Amino acid sequence: MKAFKTLTKPLNPLYMLVLFDILAFFLLYIRKTPFDTQALIVGGALLAGTLLIYILTGIFQLGDRYMLLITAMLISIGELILYRLDSSLGLKQAIWLGVSFLVYFLCYGLFGLITFWKRIIWVFPLLSVLLFLLTMVFGTTVNGSKNWIFIKGMSIQTSEIIKLLFVFFLACYYSQRERLMDKYPRIWVTLIFMMLSYTMMGLMILQREWGTPMLLFLVFTLMLYIFEKDLRLFLLNGIAAAAASAVGLLFVHHIRVRVEALVNPWKDIAGKGYQITQSLFAIGSGDFFGRGIGLGRPDFIPDVKTDFIFSAICEEMGMFGGAAVILLFLLLAYRGFKIALECSDTFYKALALGITLIFAFQAFIIIAGVIKLFLLTGITLPFISYGGSSMVVNFAAMGILQRIAALRETEGGC
Amino acid sequence: MFEIVSSIFKYAFTLIIYIFIYNIIRLILMDIRSMSDKGRSGDMPRYVLKLSGVKGIADFVIEPVYDLNKVTTIGRAVENTITIEDDFLSATHARIIRKRKNYYLQDDNSTNGTFLNGKRLGKRRVRLKDGDQIHLGRCEFLFVMEKGQVSHESI
Repeated sequence: MKAFKTLTKPLNPLYMLVLFDILAFFLLYIRKTPFDTQALIVGGALLAGTLLIYILTGIFQLGDRYMLLITAMLISIGELILYRLDSSLGLKQAIWLGVSFLVYFLCYGLFGLITFWKRIIWVFPLLSVLLFLLTMVFGTTVNGSKNWIFIKGMSIQTSEIIKLLFVFFLACYYSQRERLMDKYPRIWVTLIFMMLSYTMMGLMILQREWGTPMLLFLVFTLMLYIFEKDLRLFLLNGIAAAAASAVGLLFVHHIRVRVEALVNPWKDIAGKGYQITQSLFAIGSGDFFGRGIGLGRPDFIPDVKTDFIFSAICEEMGMFGGAAVILLFLLLAYRGFKIALECSDTFYKALALGITLIFAFQAFIIIAGVIKLFLLTGITLPFISYGGSSMVVNFAAMGILQRIAALRETEGGC
Repeated sequence: MFEIVSSIFKYAFTLIIYIFIYNIIRLILMDIRSMSDKGRSGDMPRYVLKLSGVKGIADFVIEPVYDLNKVTTIGRAVENTITIEDDFLSATHARIIRKRKNYYLQDDNSTNGTFLNGKRLGKRRVRLKDGDQIHLGRCEFLFVMEKGQVSHESI
């Protein structure tokens, strides 16, 4: 009932969220002449869906409501910018959001019902390899990465699913490690674990995708640091990564181009540095408060709907808007870490941590990429970028994280 | 017309988002404070596990007194709240759970079993009383109420 006590406070974050949505979709409504009623319908549906989830969560205590509010704010900002960029894309994204809400509850329910997660550790690498083979056979190349499957006009990005499978695999391994090491020689268990992990990451490199393997590698390294007693393994992993990146830098043309674009994009503005310089121009023209929704020219930025959406936010909502997005991700990560810390079961702890790290690192890598702080790779900004599979998988992960939070609160430890 | 509204709204958006963030942080801080108050308040009797004996030669590190959290897991693995490297313990051997004012002992499918006052525990959790004897692996503990400094005298 604590959820209802705070409802009487006038500055409750929920009211701020509702106010934001109302203002945002009113603005989109009056943007076109004649007025765009579709914007009102999309906004109303989004608001209704968000409120429904919030109320259900409050009544039945389905997890952490701060995390829910933060996520709702992120998708509101994302939907506002996407609808402003392209109203048909905004509509599509709204439909995907509806699907994602359903998936969220489905994952929330299923994750609690299934208790044999720990015994099916082999399934996760197997499924990843299967997905990889599927994309190899039926896949289509989009933007140089062959990681899309088209089924009846719907495109699915398999690397998004592999991301979640990888986290499940790590969590299973760390909860089962002692038992496995009792049964088999320790060195073999570790070796096979490392081999499988690297296979799951390496398969994506074969598809010429760089962002997701880098993301998974960062998550993997942090998990090693947290859960391994022996730091030598962590150091060995670091040395291997340094060697691999050196080789990549010297021999892989694609990576060298990215590094050149990062070091000096001004040398070749029309070519290699085009994306990053356009992004920087957009962020710069935004100033502190931005140009205002609909008044900037984010259409000059390439890939603005997916990878470079953060630049569009910075241009139209300003540096303060961009900083707010980063703050929201920080708070999201903080809540996730807190859930992981309070779990006593290693499986739930590792899973909650892995999911949180995926959100946090993914946001970091792409934001750092578009502001020229780090190598630019093509991954989505969670909960904001356009993309059906990305949104659905993120909400599935969020459902699982919320279930872990709920288990911790009601059952005195998971 | 739209330009004017949009240029005004951009300040409104920034303000709203930052009030939102400020309030989330404030609520989270309130949550943390109320949680640590609960931990500090002395109305709840606090119990500890006191070591009463080890069978044979203790070739592992063991403390004389262990505090109990909301969930305390005991076993050989480092992930446990209480790690005892006794070969007769399972990786995750048993757990003690606090629910409101009561503590419950639960066996986590251990190989050698958990014994409460000499009786082997089944699958169900059992409520603990003051002075109960808990026996796992080669270690014997007493479940007793914490009495300030007294419990540390017996070292």
